[in-house]
Amino acid sequence: MTKLKVGVYGITGCAGCQLSIIFNEDDLLDLIELVDLKAFPFIKEVNPDEQYDIIFVEGLVADKGDLETIKKLRKNAKVLVALGACAATGCVPAYRNFTLKENYEHLLYRKIKELQDVQPTPVDMHVAVDYYLPGCPPDKRQILAFIKGAVKGAIPKPTDNPVCVECRQNGNVCLLEQGKPCLGPITVGGCNAVCVNGGLECWGCRGPTKDMNLPLMISLLKRKGFDEKFIQDRMRTFVGLKLPMLKEVLHGKNHHA
Amino acid sequence: MNPYLPQPYTILEFRRESPDTFTLTIDLKKRHSPGQFVQVSVPGIGEAPISICSDSRSYVKLNIREIGNVTRALAKSKKGGKIWIRGPYGKGYPMKALEGKNLVLIGGGCGVAPLKGVIDYIEHHRSKYRDIHLFLGYRSPEEILFKKELREWKKNYRLEVTIDQNQHGAFCYDAKVGFVTEAINAAVLDPHKSAAFLCGPPVMMKASIDLLKQKGFQEDQIFISAERLMYCALGVCCHCMIRGKFTCVDGPVFRYDEIGAFTHD
Amino acid sequence: MVLYRLEKKRLGELIGRLMLDAEVIAPVKKDVVRFLPIAHPEEIHLERNAFFPAKEYFFPQHQTLFQFDGKSFAPVIPKPKKRVFFGLRRCDLTAIRHQDLAFEEVKDPYYETMRKSALLIGYHCPKAPSPYCFCGSLPQIEFFDLMFFDQQTGFLVETGSEKGEQIVREHPELFALTDLPKPDTKIPGADRLHVENIAPLYDHPDWKKGADQCLSCGACTALCPTCYCFEIHDEVSTANPDAGKRSRSWSSCQLPGFTRVAGDHVFRKERDHRFKHRIFHQLEYFKEKHGVPLCVGCGRCIEACPTRIDFVKLLNEMKT
Repeated sequence: MTKLKVGVYGITGCAGCQLSIIFNEDDLLDLIELVDLKAFPFIKEVNPDEQYDIIFVEGLVADKGDLETIKKLRKNAKVLVALGACAATGCVPAYRNFTLKENYEHLLYRKIKELQDVQPTPVDMHVAVDYYLPGCPPDKRQILAFIKGAVKGAIPKPTDNPVCVECRQNGNVCLLEQGKPCLGPITVGGCNAVCVNGGLECWGCRGPTKDMNLPLMISLLKRKGFDEKFIQDRMRTFVGLKLPMLKEVLHGKNHHA
Repeated sequence: MNPYLPQPYTILEFRRESPDTFTLTIDLKKRHSPGQFVQVSVPGIGEAPISICSDSRSYVKLNIREIGNVTRALAKSKKGGKIWIRGPYGKGYPMKALEGKNLVLIGGGCGVAPLKGVIDYIEHHRSKYRDIHLFLGYRSPEEILFKKELREWKKNYRLEVTIDQNQHGAFCYDAKVGFVTEAINAAVLDPHKSAAFLCGPPVMMKASIDLLKQKGFQEDQIFISAERLMYCALGVCCHCMIRGKFTCVDGPVFRYDEIGAFTHD
Repeated sequence: MVLYRLEKKRLGELIGRLMLDAEVIAPVKKDVVRFLPIAHPEEIHLERNAFFPAKEYFFPQHQTLFQFDGKSFAPVIPKPKKRVFFGLRRCDLTAIRHQDLAFEEVKDPYYETMRKSALLIGYHCPKAPSPYCFCGSLPQIEFFDLMFFDQQTGFLVETGSEKGEQIVREHPELFALTDLPKPDTKIPGADRLHVENIAPLYDHPDWKKGADQCLSCGACTALCPTCYCFEIHDEVSTANPDAGKRSRSWSSCQLPGFTRVAGDHVFRKERDHRFKHRIFHQLEYFKEKHGVPLCVGCGRCIEACPTRIDFVKLLNEMKT
């Protein structure tokens, strides 16, 4: 059986999500046997520009160079996977969309063509994405499960369970109860509630669940003493572009106040 | 005996039925009744409940639609290969209790599969039932199942095949273009001494039941085969529960008045 | 029924002796009270009931059912471990019995192995330990090996099984036979559910009221001592994708994925339908099958709910 040809690429991002693949230390040698990891510019010298079964792309589109790269990757990929929060939801770099231009204008690159500014946006706002492995960074076991699923021709269905499901199974006591602004109830799980396990509230890096009860989440945070500005900032930090209704729910008619 | 343990069986035949369905014949020789199902495993991918579409002591046939990971993997099975199965499970159609009656069978899409088991059963016990009326609805000519058998069915029963559309004017076994409900509506059905079996998409079942009721069928004359997510198939994981009834052990065939039209419950 | 008296100051001695040949699991005060294996009898905390139930010891969050290698499925049955559970409240004991009913029906070998090696010692609540308790409104059964009634300077100990009596026999210097009457088993302040039959409330519009306050986080089902729903998934090894394991995990009827079939249709999509289903399974559906409601009235689903949806209050209001 021919091995799946896999490429791992990065556009604007921190390379942490690519590292998450490598962090599967115990499985790494088997993984290299399992698939043909042909392109991985972050750790490889030779990365042919050709057709791949799966391309993982990390990072978001933030400059003209990214735009060209992402179009090329889409053309080269049978299956394009948005790896990590930047690629999937825009993450922290996309937060710029919610600030005034005068706050950052003086920081933009102007001379180098490839670095010329593009509105920072997740990959699916430019090309079709076949699968999302969200998270900042994505869960390494989930990446592995995706690859193994692809090898078996059975890619796992993405969960829509909130972070709370794993959090409660892990025996954590709800951080909302402790007055922390945890976004677990509206955030897609699959991360094993890693932040909450360590005592840090969920910031929502994996994106909103389809089933989220956003009005209730907001009114609960308000009841806990967080003001609208705080709630808006917090919810926008990782996934602002995926919450277009946020402003309306936050300031508009609130059914649950 | 570990109730979750699948057993290996041999695939006796693989037959492509339509572009996205296929029929497996398996050397499973356990007693079963039409409407029952088995839990098919693909190690490493998972399990899926598949209804039995045959009536035999020497094999079972499974008509499978490629819709999820398990069924897509099963599509790669080959004659002579191995397949992992638990079951048969569940309660099928009450064939014994309905002897001497007219039967109206209404199937939509891959919902025709369990009804095929009923038809096979009727064929083996033809003298015990009166008029048999089949309404089989499909979206397109390509989706029509059991094409080989249709000719026989047409000879022996009152058969109506409908297709929602026939864009390319394909040959399609005398199927009428239109919804299966239109065919039911146009037919003369005598509710007296009759029972109706339904299996298909929820919307189609709902519309068909409404029509049957208009024609004088009582809710306790209507039997439906329910589809639900299942893991254990034993009555413990609870995913398939409908109003307190387990689809896996109390169903999948329910008398309509037992669960009603509670598609969300 | 025989009653014994155990001096309070000698509880540690008893627990210490039980610890010699069994793992003793008891409520321990950490961030909250949890059932944990104890290292010292002094760790036992009886003032509050445990925030988390003991169910994970019989029905773990994640449990391997089989290992497969492409040629066969090999069951992975857990090794029975001798365990003594101390300090189970009446509701939690009844909950264990109710889970038994569910798993016994299918002769689940995984549950059975974990369960049969456990000795259950109850602690009768002197008063309702939480404002959310409503065990008094639901049938509690006499189900324990030993039951401890808290009295000022000692425990009145009731034996409920041969295993329980054996413990008393093995430690005659700790247990003194007494002819004191059995205390009232009613727990004061815990009968706040006033609806006996919820079936007529099925179409009541106020289910929506409860669901509007629901985040669908699944805390209620995870912390419920009786909720036993699970899902089964396969995982393959990276070295050999034909080999791997099949395991089960807790699942929650409060999530849309609970009824999502291949092709993405969700049968119980609306939040109020999911909420209603949980309450109906707890109070009505289980009763239809097993003769007793599944719910035992411990109140954990309310206490753990981030918005404190009090279905007891909601039902009481629906009735009026």
